[in-house]
Amino acid sequence: MKKRLLIIFASTVLLGGLSLRADVLKINGSTTVNLPVAEASEILRAEKKMEIQVDTQGGSSGGISMLGEGLVQIGMISKHVSEADRAKFLACKYKEIQIGADAVAMIVSKDVWDGGVKSLTKEQLAGIYEGKIKNWKDVGGPNRRIAFFNKEPGRGTWEVFVHWIYGDPKKAPAVSFPEVGGNEETRNKVASTKGALSQLSSSWADNQKVFALSLKVEGKDIAPATENIATGKYPMSRPLFILTNGEPAGDAKTMVDFMLSDRGQELVKKHGYLALAQLKPATPEKK
Amino acid sequence: MRRKLIHHLLRLVTALCAVCACSVLAIIVWAIWVRGWPAISWQFFTEQIRLVGAAGGIFYNLIGTGILLLTALAVSAPLATGIALMHGVYWQHSRHRDKLTVVLYVLNGVPSILFGIFGMIVFVQWLGWGKSWLSGGMLLGFMILPTVTVALMERIASLPRQYVEAAAALGLTQSQTVRSVILPQSVSGLITGSLLGLARAAGETAPIMFTATIFAGATIPGGIKENPVLSLPYHIFILAQDSFDPSVGSKVWGTALSLLAVVFILNLIALPARLKIHEEARPG
Amino acid sequence: MLRRRWSATKVASYVFTLVALAAAVGMVALFVIQSLPVWRHEGSGFVTGTEWFYRDGKFGAAPMIYGTVAVAAIALLLAAPLGMGAAVFISEFLPRQFRLLVKGSIELLAGIPSVVYGLLGILLLRDWVYEALEAYEPLSGDTLLTAGILLAVMILPTVVTLADDALRGVPSTQRLASRALGLNAGECVLFTVLPQALPGMLAAILLATGRALGETIAVFLIVGRQDNQWPESLLSLKPLIEAGQTLTTKLGGSETNIAYGEPLHWGAMVGLGLLLLALAVVVTILGVWLQRISSRHAT
Repeated sequence: MKKRLLIIFASTVLLGGLSLRADVLKINGSTTVNLPVAEASEILRAEKKMEIQVDTQGGSSGGISMLGEGLVQIGMISKHVSEADRAKFLACKYKEIQIGADAVAMIVSKDVWDGGVKSLTKEQLAGIYEGKIKNWKDVGGPNRRIAFFNKEPGRGTWEVFVHWIYGDPKKAPAVSFPEVGGNEETRNKVASTKGALSQLSSSWADNQKVFALSLKVEGKDIAPATENIATGKYPMSRPLFILTNGEPAGDAKTMVDFMLSDRGQELVKKHGYLALAQLKPATPEKK
Repeated sequence: MRRKLIHHLLRLVTALCAVCACSVLAIIVWAIWVRGWPAISWQFFTEQIRLVGAAGGIFYNLIGTGILLLTALAVSAPLATGIALMHGVYWQHSRHRDKLTVVLYVLNGVPSILFGIFGMIVFVQWLGWGKSWLSGGMLLGFMILPTVTVALMERIASLPRQYVEAAAALGLTQSQTVRSVILPQSVSGLITGSLLGLARAAGETAPIMFTATIFAGATIPGGIKENPVLSLPYHIFILAQDSFDPSVGSKVWGTALSLLAVVFILNLIALPARLKIHEEARPG
Repeated sequence: MLRRRWSATKVASYVFTLVALAAAVGMVALFVIQSLPVWRHEGSGFVTGTEWFYRDGKFGAAPMIYGTVAVAAIALLLAAPLGMGAAVFISEFLPRQFRLLVKGSIELLAGIPSVVYGLLGILLLRDWVYEALEAYEPLSGDTLLTAGILLAVMILPTVVTLADDALRGVPSTQRLASRALGLNAGECVLFTVLPQALPGMLAAILLATGRALGETIAVFLIVGRQDNQWPESLLSLKPLIEAGQTLTTKLGGSETNIAYGEPLHWGAMVGLGLLLLALAVVVTILGVWLQRISSRHAT
């Protein structure tokens, strides 16, 4: 009985192996960029019979490191490749190909929004992050403990956040907050906790259960609206990249071309991000 | 009077405990059923994931879990047989026998995430396999080894001595006895142990999430290196954190229900044999 | 019987056993060797240090050990009495016809995968706990208590099954003798069966503890994963309604992927694994030893 099972198993694997193409396109990286890319993969699989594997292990950092180690052909990232990353993987010529833009919003739960907090300044956010500001009443809100959920280390969203507040992720102070991982977990936990605050891709704020705050820069409230992200006025805008090692070729090029095509850009918009066409050069304003 | 009170009180309290325990567990199964049933359909099992989990089905997740389980079986069955034979036949009178049993029981208590870390070091990095179905299968096989082995050991121990003595009287060597008497008679123990082990392996996420499985895109592996599979438990784990759409909701529960069904069926088939061994072994 | 020195079957058995043993030993050795950097860096401070900031090179595992122990302790506090009571009922008072049905159902339920429990936890349990604890102003529903409750439900079937085995291990002659001497059924259980089943019951608790210590996925989703939650007083209850981190949730998180390639950070992660292994092994060995004692008494 076991022998028969073994034969069935072996032949399945063999047949499966024979019917597959030799090249599999492997993609890994940010859960934010994953949305349009994964859907693009489904389309390419159906139409061009390509073999594409998509994973989101380690977020943006995972995308960079796996491309650097040669484990994947395309990385997905929601932040720039840093000098440190380039130095770590000298053999890899990281090529950033922008496919859209997105913003990191500070989202709060309904009670905070209704309680009057509609925007925060950089200093206030730094104070909250460093644990100096512990109650919403200190920033114009209800008398409630601030329940800050910090994004996991390694997430592009987190890096964009600390980049704006401290200028360099390395300069961010060492803090301990409850952690959240992916977008769904973040939204879910903020929605179900009173006094909650966290970082989230702006397209995920539905303004029914979680609400995106504006950022107060030089006295003006800048909301994470499409206009502000497109012009770069909203401080925590970030480009969405797919990464390749040098010029993309073969299946990787097919994927890149697709993402840059109208259909690919439609997918980017469908998931709430800004397509390349919507991005405008920043008007000369003081930052 | 007081003595009767003690009796009745004890019965009442323990009955309450039993009812409490059973109802908690029943509620859990019911909660999963209620939420997962709407997603179950023939298409759910035969389609693959679409819209990153919001639509489509879990076909390749079922295939992936199946591949992992078959590999785990292929790894653990021979090893378990070898160990059980050492315990029951070749080392019957050796002082090593007890140490062997202790190692098995300790291995059974090792947290599953540690198998994942072990696999990450050895398979993903040292052997350079990246994520591979073979690593996952081997790790799972290693993890369920105690379960399979102990079931087989118990079965061998319960074989009537007359069989072995008769074989000796007929002039068979020890190994011939093993091949023609002991092994054939104890196959049921191997099957029971394997079913129980596979039931456990089917639901494990931690050993395979670093070493063998991804969320989307894998179908049937075409080799060893860099050939991950999809799987049921990892699918649930990712969707619980990263699902992209409210409509994913019932899909997650549907997957959970399917996983539960796989585990229950495997356990159910093994149950009669297991209960029999358990009840027989007890003089009570 | 005729024993040839070596035969194919014998050789195969030896080889397979050796392979399995080598893998087991290899795993332990690997953890020890790969964690050396952190032992050199922190020494015993790794176990007693209360700060974990990997970017600053600080690696203290104490808050995670606390989290692991606290969560397991809560689980035991809830599951052990309930489970043992249920086992007593199933073993001693339940009419024989129902025994197989009930025992079989509980064994089936012991097989529910942890990720399914995690799903129930993140979508149901944490909201319930959050509402229940309103008065104490918890940060959210992700607390050590939540994780403990979920674990209690997970290990309940294990406790029931193993405790029932322990009770069945007491020979029926003991019960008959006790009844013959005039004790009623309740007294028989309390004064004859339970004392003799005690080692086995303790073993059941220890083995269930082992499972609680090692659980990753279910706890990961609802414990909050907040580092450096070292309580001011070890016996106070306040930290239990705060978020925490256990050894398993740290290992199952994103740091494991980040750490690979950096000797010190990776050494720290593997060091956590080693600590977890040590805890689990100690608890398991104690449990197995107690089981041995109880089965010796049974014959």
